[in-house]
Amino acid sequence: MSAENSVMKRHNLRSAARFVVAGIVALGVLGASRSAKAEEIQITGPLAGAPPVRKLRLQRQGRFEIAPSFSFTLLDEYRRTMVVGGSLTYNAFDWLGFGVWGGFGAIAPLTALSDNVNESSPRNTRTAVNVGRDFGAQVSKLTWMVVPQVQVAPFRGKLAIFGKLFVDTDLYLHLGLGFHGLDERADCDGGGCVGADKTMNSRVAISPNFGLGFKFYTNNLVNFGLEYRAFPFSWNRAGFDQRGGGNDGKFPDQKVNGDDQTFKFNQMISLSVGFALPAKPKLSE
Amino acid sequence: MKSIRRVAVCLLAVALAAVPLVANAQKGGKKPTPAAAGGAAGAASGTPAPAGTDTIEVDDPNAPKDPNAKPPETPPADPNANAGGGGICDIDPTACPKQSDIKALADKKVNAEVYAVEQEFALKKGRFELNPYGAVTLNDQFVSHPAFGLTANYWITNVLAIGINGNLFAGLNVDSDFNFQNRRATRVAVPLTEYQWSAAAQFTYVPIYGKFAGFNAFIFNYDVYALGGVGALATRPIAVIDPDNRKFESFTPKIDFNVGLGLRIAFNKWFAATLELRDHIYIEQLESIVVPRSQTEQTNPDTWFGDKPLTNHIQAQLGVSVFLPFGFEYRLPR
Repeated sequence: MSAENSVMKRHNLRSAARFVVAGIVALGVLGASRSAKAEEIQITGPLAGAPPVRKLRLQRQGRFEIAPSFSFTLLDEYRRTMVVGGSLTYNAFDWLGFGVWGGFGAIAPLTALSDNVNESSPRNTRTAVNVGRDFGAQVSKLTWMVVPQVQVAPFRGKLAIFGKLFVDTDLYLHLGLGFHGLDERADCDGGGCVGADKTMNSRVAISPNFGLGFKFYTNNLVNFGLEYRAFPFSWNRAGFDQRGGGNDGKFPDQKVNGDDQTFKFNQMISLSVGFALPAKPKLSE
Repeated sequence: MKSIRRVAVCLLAVALAAVPLVANAQKGGKKPTPAAAGGAAGAASGTPAPAGTDTIEVDDPNAPKDPNAKPPETPPADPNANAGGGGICDIDPTACPKQSDIKALADKKVNAEVYAVEQEFALKKGRFELNPYGAVTLNDQFVSHPAFGLTANYWITNVLAIGINGNLFAGLNVDSDFNFQNRRATRVAVPLTEYQWSAAAQFTYVPIYGKFAGFNAFIFNYDVYALGGVGALATRPIAVIDPDNRKFESFTPKIDFNVGLGLRIAFNKWFAATLELRDHIYIEQLESIVVPRSQTEQTNPDTWFGDKPLTNHIQAQLGVSVFLPFGFEYRLPR
């Protein structure tokens, strides 16, 4: 009886396996046919080879753009900077433009931490090298920026706000070499560092600039921009002696110099209003 | 019997394989005759419909003529008939449209219903969304609070969802080196805190959606969403003012209001990438910056806590969204 059972079970298993294989084959045939259908439509259909967007307003191609901007820095430790400036760009293609962005650090308020240091830090021999009579006066400033740059706009589209308002939009990346004017504490050594008033010096820091932004084209002439920019470089933001001593150079050495410049991933956000010329954009095919 | 069964199975298999190919056959086959060129009967037979059917192709000069078709009976020309009016002019000459009326009608603006952004790419109504992400701090230069998080939403409509959100910060807080440098240089310390977890109930609203063309070669869809919620955020101070005596062991949950803005880019009908900015707004408990004079007081935990400022912790979240069920169907074709 058990032998018969086992034969029956084997037979049932074989039948079931056959059904499963047949089912998989049938599904494969169906699936393959469906995907082939989609391919064929793509290759030979009436829209084959057509661009995804026809009569696209080429908001950039062949146009100059001048865009006044207002920028503010992010994650500042001792001083924030608000830059008033602008950009001038020529867009050779709808996806590629060349230009320059720049501005002046028009407003540079101290952070709450700087105010706190100014009020609370004891002025004695332990802090003499690092904290002057007016701490705010020794905190570095970003005074100007000039950045020759390229803009690549790979993504172009439109957005609907509440399903009512439609705005042409593009997303672009920018990359450039930035020249940054800094007011930074001047180099000093020994007794020259402990005076009540710290001497400042100007220098130019050069670093890559990169980021991304959105442009919202409200009409053929005017657009609004929102941009993120990173410009990492090393600088001595507070004018401290914090490096140069010890076995590994990570301790104070009673000098203020280039060793005290520490790396900072500087960042800012810009808002802009752009005017593009000629005033009427071309249309794609 | 077996042979009949085999034949039946073969027929079934052929039918199964053929069903999906039927649509393909249209591509390579004869272009279907437009219904207007002769009606259904004509299209089926390959000949134009005889005169008298409902549809007549009047604009096609190359349309084949039916030799058996009777020429239309042309009424004798009426010299008084108004060329532009037709029958109405015979019945009521006062109602007969004049040429100027036709011009005015032609110039009339038509309010055509054209949608700038057609059919939303991925419908959300009635679907669940799972959104795992990694987060970094945007606005705290003293301590960063990176986290792993998960949002689960249920979409009540295509633009409104309710859901829950959670973050795990434990073990990921990073005290910036800058704090130490500042303390050593100025003898001024900044009170610091660290996070353990957060959880919130939230709603999400999608006011903006659209699509982008990439290099004018492909299209992807996106939407922008706003969110709001309320929950709890567990934090504790890091002992930096008097670390010799103070040790903060327990994390205390605080009421945490969430607001945020996000961008969701759809790769297909059920998978998307998300970028979100979320602001946790809560009352923080800081370490006291005052150190008591006596040792007894210094070791008394009641003296360890200081200000309770309103705090904004803004985090950027990068993640993916998976919608369940994977598929959906449009009820309307557009």
